Amino acid sequence: MDESNHWYGHSRILGTYCGLSDEAPKRIQGFLQHGWNYLHGFPPNDHWCSPGYPRFVWSDVLRRRGWSMGRRGHYLIGAPWIYLLYLEPELGVQPDREGTIWYPFHGWEKHSVSGDHARLADEIRDVEIGPVTICLYWLEYANPDIRRSYESRGFRVICHGERGSRWEGKGRDFLRKQLVELRRHRRVASNRLGSALFYGASVGCEVAVYGDPMQFEDERPEYGGTARRMRLWPELHGTHVDRELAAEVARRELGFEYQATPEELRRMFGWKRVRTA
Amino acid sequence: MKGPTSDEAPGNVRLIGGEMLLWSDLGTIGGVTEWRGAALELIRRTIPGRGRVLLVGPHPRALVDDVVARAPSAAVLLRSYPDACALGARHPELEVFCGRLEVLDADEPYDLVLAMDGLLRTHSAEAPAAAWNESLGALAALVAPGGTLVLGVRNDLGVDRFIEARPADRECADDQWAPHGFDPSYPSGPEALDLGLESAGLSLRRCYAAYPDRRAPRSLLSREALAFDLPEALTFPLSARDGDRMLVADPLRLTRLVFRHRLGEELAPLWLAVATKAPLPADRPHPADEARPADQLQPADQPQPADQPQPADRPRAVELPLGLIEEGPALYELTPGGMRRLPGGEERPIPAGRVVEEILVEACAREDVRTVRELLAGLAEWIEAGGDVSAATDSLVYDGERFAAVNPPVGLAVMPGPKVVLCRILWRFAVRLLAAGHHHPWPWPLEADQLTLTLCGMAGRPCEPGDLDRARKLDAELGQPAELTEHAPTYRDLLAARDRLADQLTAALARISRLETKLSYRERELVRAKAKLRRTQRKATAYRRTLGYRLSRRLARPRKVARRVFRMLSG
Repeated sequence: MDESNHWYGHSRILGTYCGLSDEAPKRIQGFLQHGWNYLHGFPPNDHWCSPGYPRFVWSDVLRRRGWSMGRRGHYLIGAPWIYLLYLEPELGVQPDREGTIWYPFHGWEKHSVSGDHARLADEIRDVEIGPVTICLYWLEYANPDIRRSYESRGFRVICHGERGSRWEGKGRDFLRKQLVELRRHRRVASNRLGSALFYGASVGCEVAVYGDPMQFEDERPEYGGTARRMRLWPELHGTHVDRELAAEVARRELGFEYQATPEELRRMFGWKRVRTA
Repeated sequence: MKGPTSDEAPGNVRLIGGEMLLWSDLGTIGGVTEWRGAALELIRRTIPGRGRVLLVGPHPRALVDDVVARAPSAAVLLRSYPDACALGARHPELEVFCGRLEVLDADEPYDLVLAMDGLLRTHSAEAPAAAWNESLGALAALVAPGGTLVLGVRNDLGVDRFIEARPADRECADDQWAPHGFDPSYPSGPEALDLGLESAGLSLRRCYAAYPDRRAPRSLLSREALAFDLPEALTFPLSARDGDRMLVADPLRLTRLVFRHRLGEELAPLWLAVATKAPLPADRPHPADEARPADQLQPADQPQPADQPQPADRPRAVELPLGLIEEGPALYELTPGGMRRLPGGEERPIPAGRVVEEILVEACAREDVRTVRELLAGLAEWIEAGGDVSAATDSLVYDGERFAAVNPPVGLAVMPGPKVVLCRILWRFAVRLLAAGHHHPWPWPLEADQLTLTLCGMAGRPCEPGDLDRARKLDAELGQPAELTEHAPTYRDLLAARDRLADQLTAALARISRLETKLSYRERELVRAKAKLRRTQRKATAYRRTLGYRLSRRLARPRKVARRVFRMLSG
């Protein structure tokens, strides 16, 4: 269907949940929301989401917003992350968690972000007390200047890898690696609210959002910018955030209550051959 | 055809004037109000132990037979001569008057007058139609002092009226020589009905709202009962759909709104008034007894007033039921504390909560799949814990914690497994959901069978097509068809179906266009891959032709031979 359905190993996780092999993930007949989003689950220019195919979104607010923007055919299943947690309740669980895992806001293959990583690294050093792990997107990780600005301050710099595709296994363990890292850290932080932060909050990390939020080169106005995120989630911004509150918001944003049954997913994704009239 | 004469009529048929010789009210035109169990039960309670009973206008055969069997002395007034003759022949002991109501001159008034079909079919084509209040006056004159009148009055603003695509009394049918609807004296509401009865010298004892339809009323709910917020388990089944008429909308939703807005009395399809004529001063009952309503709906937690002892010298006041409700072949009486099945059933409270189908339809409208999953999983657990096998989403209520069947369970010879029971409930819901054209979140498949299997999956109880076949058989065995196929679609159904088809077409076109784009892309990729392959093959061929390649092959050959010989010698 669409390449993004297979990013971060999402289709493989859902396939495993449905009892299928994760060697060759099947095509999902629809569009899977692949990252946390505060529009309607998809980018503003979502013309590639053809009508007539369902949009599998994480939370009801996205459905409502999408509906108000003329999108139809939403189907709530929650984030693939919740299925991973269901499948791997013990993976990477450590009795003593320490340090902070920090996710600087990243660009992607077609858009890069502009921001001063060195200044951000200084700010992190000033705020964080324990050991700090910086997790970079593979594009930034490949840039020695960016890596150096963190490594020079004594931070451990890692990368969960590329997001992969249906045909190559590169991204298949992306979320698994992320889960292991999140479960060994006490805190998760970033300069913008994002999937990683909610993933962390959902596995018991403390949350912090601070530092220069950086900008996409041509950030779409539909999102409403940083100011809107501050208005929507003022309680999640700052160097110290109420852990219970963050976990509650994460549960809502990741759609824990919308976990579908395997049989339902098989039917919704078109993984079950059905006779059609 | 030879015209009928009074010589041919049975001896008990009396022609009183205005009789319609070539007319029958038992035909399909208009049709007699099809009273059944609830009306029979009411009559049984009002019929006097001794005294005379008069049936005015056409009534269903079963009702007439029952009255004749129970009443010590019965008479019937019909305008149709053939109907009168047929009835007279069937009941030789019955006195049958044939003609117009206004000219009936009874020797002696009657203790019970039943005009449950209303007054419209007491008019004859032989004379200008009398106004409603004139007919009522004539009817009231036939009631003896202290006697009772049971009168059916069709409501011109009944809930069944304003969803008719073709108003029934504007069809220029044979019985509409003076179409109904222009008579200013016709009751314009419950209050007007009360006033009409009062001015005819009658006092209302109880007025019932009849549902679901004026042609085939199945339930009678008294004004006192309707004043309360009736539970959904009671009101949900009170909407029916007549198969042969084109409607504007499904009556279900509208009827539900009527009850929610407490307009059940005002918008009833038909009223059935039970009124009495004041007795002669000598046998007037105690004033206190008149002032006290026969009974009142009491909330279950309030103590009920103790029955007052009746003085022995007065006839016992007839207790009129609060409501009578037919559900299929069963008949229930609405009581202050709940319902009891007749005859002789135990009183049991009406289960509280919302009808499951309504909860699901609402969740579907909001694409709230979470509620659907949770509710269906709860339903599956309820069935596995021994819930009623004959239940369905339209006959189950859920109060947020527990499910309760509205109807008593049906006994089956072979008890099906819980999976089949669940599958049948969900199949029935899927059929009804799709037939009603409600919005739902499932993108595909759009047919009921596949939707059922998806719903079973959502309940966490995946079913196979084999289970579905067994579920369908179970549904047929239970005999409550999910959808009446002979239903004419409503106007709103047609519009919705058209919109749905347009949406599906748009979606299908978008999908085709997407797949075409993908196909072109893949074709281009294929062409590129083929060209690459061909280039590689050409390169390989060219390489094989090169001197270096050929030389290396030649040089390799003697070495191969030598190796083989060496192996043979050493082996």
